[in-house]
Amino acid sequence: MTRFVVRAPLFAVLLVLAAAFFFYSRSIRAADDRFPIYFDDSTVALKTENVNRATYLPLKELVDHLHLPYTDAKILELFTIGSSNNPSIVLAKNSRLIQVNGQQTLLAFPVLREGQQWLVPIDFLTQALSRVTGVEFRYKPGASRIFAGKVTPAELVMNAQALGSITRLTIGTSSPVNLNLKRDATQHRAVLEMGSKPVDPLRERLDYRDRLVRSIAFEDSDGAPRIVIETTDGVGDIRVSKAEEGRVHFVDFLKPGASPEAEPATAPPGLPSAVTKLDPLANKGIRVVVIDPGHGGMDAGATSGGVTEKDLALAISRTLRTALRDRLGVTVLLTRDSDVALTNEARSAVANNNQADLFLSLHIGYSPDKRDSGSSIYVIKEDFAGQTSAVSSDRLFLPWYMGYHANRNVSGGFASTLQEEFHKTLPDWKFPIRSGPIAVLASTTMPAVAFEIGNLNSAANSQIVDGGFQGRIVSTIVAAVERFAAARRSGA
Amino acid sequence: MPRHIKIGIIVLAVGFAITLGFFVDIVGRIRSVANSAETEANPFKQPPAPLYAPTDPPMPVKIFFPTAAGESLLSAEQKTIFKSAELTNRAKQILQKVLEGPSNNGLLPSIPMEAKVQEVFLSADGTAFVDFSNAISTNHPGGIQNEQATIYSIVDSLTYNLPEIHQVKILIGGTEKETLAGHCLLLVPLEMDLSITNVPPPPETKDSQAAHAN
Repeated sequence: MTRFVVRAPLFAVLLVLAAAFFFYSRSIRAADDRFPIYFDDSTVALKTENVNRATYLPLKELVDHLHLPYTDAKILELFTIGSSNNPSIVLAKNSRLIQVNGQQTLLAFPVLREGQQWLVPIDFLTQALSRVTGVEFRYKPGASRIFAGKVTPAELVMNAQALGSITRLTIGTSSPVNLNLKRDATQHRAVLEMGSKPVDPLRERLDYRDRLVRSIAFEDSDGAPRIVIETTDGVGDIRVSKAEEGRVHFVDFLKPGASPEAEPATAPPGLPSAVTKLDPLANKGIRVVVIDPGHGGMDAGATSGGVTEKDLALAISRTLRTALRDRLGVTVLLTRDSDVALTNEARSAVANNNQADLFLSLHIGYSPDKRDSGSSIYVIKEDFAGQTSAVSSDRLFLPWYMGYHANRNVSGGFASTLQEEFHKTLPDWKFPIRSGPIAVLASTTMPAVAFEIGNLNSAANSQIVDGGFQGRIVSTIVAAVERFAAARRSGA
Repeated sequence: MPRHIKIGIIVLAVGFAITLGFFVDIVGRIRSVANSAETEANPFKQPPAPLYAPTDPPMPVKIFFPTAAGESLLSAEQKTIFKSAELTNRAKQILQKVLEGPSNNGLLPSIPMEAKVQEVFLSADGTAFVDFSNAISTNHPGGIQNEQATIYSIVDSLTYNLPEIHQVKILIGGTEKETLAGHCLLLVPLEMDLSITNVPPPPETKDSQAAHAN
């Protein structure tokens, strides 16, 4: 029993420590950070302090940068900006109440004074400073940068995905930027400098990691925007290619020794990659085709006996990929190259992020009627969502599921081409063109069709598992894509 | 050993035994509680109130079912419900007819047998929210045409017969689902689509639209 007696003081000490932590944790400071403010003609990176969960800016450095006269009355603990007899802003230590042009204003957090330093919360900029200087400050809560005056930052969207053996980072900006890759192979770090123009990222940090990439983050604490990528030691080469006059950049991380021809994301053999990226339609009509094998993972799709739709769709898609590459020399990507589950959004994102010229979603049909061939070709139904989301074509932003809007007619054209080719190869099968609210087509921003082949419920359709029959289907689709590319080339 | 320590140990042992008893067959008890909640939540097994009164007049309706190997995806079958005062009850009766399946040889059932309608709500703007049990999704055989037929047999049967309903939002298991079997988007309410059927538009559509506009 003595052991309990001995431990009692230990518990008491722990309890006191826990209580102390609870009470003092409120004034614990987070790591200090730098915070850039972008002005029309200059940029200042201020050292911020986080006190009581609020971000504070050093007042004197800010005022110095703006060349405003100020007085720091140490005994009165007052800070005045402007001339001493007619001050524009008056702040007092530990007070939320400040005076701006003779009017009282309440800040979100109290003004602090630490030694020689005055600290103001961020809303001091909008509440006080912009009213005195006439400079507008724009701050997104949670972001660590401020844009002042007429500064229009380039909006930045980043997206990363694994494509076969490479990892591709897609960087989209609202205005053209020049990316400058600096690589430090020993430290497994790649830095993409984005020039001196201010950049406003949608997200600071990309929640992505795989075999090649550890982390992707935007960083501009010193006023120089850049993207910092931590890589693993499995990365051999990093290639940057640009499209859309510098508004879109692809950064490909390759394994050492990976040949560019074998990679889905790089250009076909014989053409230097930069040229094809810059001129996407160079004498081929189409550049990238994305094939989406339906279902996958837990979602087996239609099943019959031991045959599942997901496996058949993947098998045919792989053959189709090889055939399209060989016959047309285009880049072909699969949304999934293994038995994994994907959301419909992830499928269309592969096509959207890679600027595909054509999206084919491949399914195997199932009809409750055993006599039916089951096959059909689908395009998205126009305005399927009805009046709740009626869209005018001049709207700048569309809901995600309205991405199809601009390309619906072209999709219909490709569907008829595909139907004609199927009727040539399989005259006994009906391939009606239907339209419906197909989820995987709704958010694609290029010509897109979904089609289902055969009827897994019909014994007469068992030839669908036969390799020779699949080859006929593949060459039919290739012929349709070839006609589509030819029509594109001739400008139709 | 001092007496108070002994008492303390005995109290702790008793408390431990009681706590152990709590875990005996806990899985079985949770399952039975969940099962009883499930049966209570299904209004179609034991409707708390009848869907129509004996005095309600009969009302002919067209119920849409997939056709067997036809050009059009859906075709309609004439059925009769009772014109109950509550619009929701009329909608529930129509959905019951859809679940029952067709009596005609050339038509096929559109909804997996195990699926049930859990609840129907109507909103003021003419949207019907129909909540199906999970079986409509898990027991669905798949196929794009087949899934579209399932969805539009529900949407068209409701909107064609009840002009007050302009669009239908399908919920599964009480929640919003992206698709039913992987193909058709259910995140938005869907409107009547007669282009996939061989049925002409309902005669009263114009009047009801005019009435709606006014």
